[in-house]
Amino acid sequence: MQNLSELTRRLVEAQVEFVLIGGFAAVAHGATLVTRDVDICCRFSEANLKRIQHALGQLDPVQSSRPGLPLDLTPEQCSSLKNLYLKTDLGIVDCLSEVLGIGDFDAVSKQSLEVELPFGHCRILDIDGLIRAKEAMNRDHDRITVRQLKEIKNRQQSG
Amino acid sequence: MKASLINPRGQAPGSDNGPADCTTPSDFIDLSLLEDSLAKTVWERMLANDDALRLADLLQSAVLRRRAKS
Repeated sequence: MQNLSELTRRLVEAQVEFVLIGGFAAVAHGATLVTRDVDICCRFSEANLKRIQHALGQLDPVQSSRPGLPLDLTPEQCSSLKNLYLKTDLGIVDCLSEVLGIGDFDAVSKQSLEVELPFGHCRILDIDGLIRAKEAMNRDHDRITVRQLKEIKNRQQSG
Repeated sequence: MKASLINPRGQAPGSDNGPADCTTPSDFIDLSLLEDSLAKTVWERMLANDDALRLADLLQSAVLRRRAKS
């Protein structure tokens, strides 16, 4: 069963250094499309990747590229990875080191805002950053999401 | 970053989303849905996404079971 909220909670509570991006970030801003995975941009340091592994460790995580093998990151892998695509019992978590249209984790972090959730604070790509990232991807559902995000932005600006 | 063209009420584009002036199939911006969503907290929106996912999966399973029977 998919539970993206629970995946997010685990990442926050494990103090993973990440910014929520993609469809779930759009949902957080108010978009009404439904998304099936958690996309994050995170720092690809060994310590942070180990935090991700620890956060999701009880959910039988596997790398999409290595199905059947449990997630067990080595220092060598951590130093060479650019992206980490994970399948867990509660859904997919895609971890990216950079976001098209924005840049690396530091650039994404600067373009994010902090929101308060019941279990702690979570950084989410801000609405302008999300629009830019979605426009850069430019798939059918990205274009629909962009229209919704622009409407949400208009409403926020008009108070 | 996959999203599907169902909304948190489990409706597909072009379905009966409510008053005719709230939505157009071409842009799929249902303003009444957007207002509902914006009235929620961030956490409530995340939970609503999960609820919609579960509903969509239940419906898909039911359709698959029905196809398997026929």
